[in-house]
Amino acid sequence: MAKRVMIVDDSRMVYLQMKNLLEETEYEVAAYCRSGEEAVEQYGQVSPDLVTMDIIMPGMDGLETTQAILEDHPDARIIMVSSLAYEETFDTAKEIGAKGFIDKPFEKERLLEVFRAALEE
Amino acid sequence: MNTAIPQKNLEEMLDRAVREVTKQAAGVCLFQGGGELSEDLCSVHISFNRGFHTSLTLCADTALLTRMAQNALEEETPTTQDLEDFCKEYFNILCGKIAAILFRYTKIPARFSVPEFYRGRYTPEEHQMQFVLTYADGNQQSAHLTHYVPQGGENNGSAAK
Repeated sequence: MAKRVMIVDDSRMVYLQMKNLLEETEYEVAAYCRSGEEAVEQYGQVSPDLVTMDIIMPGMDGLETTQAILEDHPDARIIMVSSLAYEETFDTAKEIGAKGFIDKPFEKERLLEVFRAALEE
Repeated sequence: MNTAIPQKNLEEMLDRAVREVTKQAAGVCLFQGGGELSEDLCSVHISFNRGFHTSLTLCADTALLTRMAQNALEEETPTTQDLEDFCKEYFNILCGKIAAILFRYTKIPARFSVPEFYRGRYTPEEHQMQFVLTYADGNQQSAHLTHYVPQGGENNGSAAK
């Protein structure tokens, strides 16, 4: 059975790219949220296996959203997907409980590698 | 940003990020030293709002941005909405790379605003231009990346350092 992924990113382009990359893999897009607020609201209903989370978004940013989801759903597996790829962001993401970090722009192999590692953890 | 880093070094950092991200995210090689922009332009803008208090605007020929969007989206005829979405995401990635390079150099963690897209040329209010990097691709289409600091002196636009 396909693993269900929830994509949280204000950019529709990221959603389209990720959806294309995940075609014919063991993953399927279960939901797409364009804001942190929407993700917090939808997480419980969608109950995905994995969440990909942008950081720079209008309203709640991805780090705040991750914290909010993990408060209510401590088992959530959230992977940050951002171009803010430097130690301070890695450390903050790890501290709040993110399961991985994917640098933008991303490639299929890297996406799948981080997904697998997050699910095996 | 400019008082934490000598301007020459900052220009080199921005240049490296522009060329790497444009190649990686949009499959287009840009070279420094492009000419004048055409009349059909789009701009995309961000402000750094943590760590640094400057802003960056990319103003480019619509034809160049459209070709970049075609490559990134693998879509022959991107819609105007596709073009706007692409420009915002491309600039988001570019500014993230710049923030990462700046962090390695200054240890100051920067954050920036959500990118804003404009048809035509955009100039941020209450800012003054500090420098412009000019680019062209193989088709002689051009892009200008402008670094702005808040009006009233360069120190107002500096890093908290």
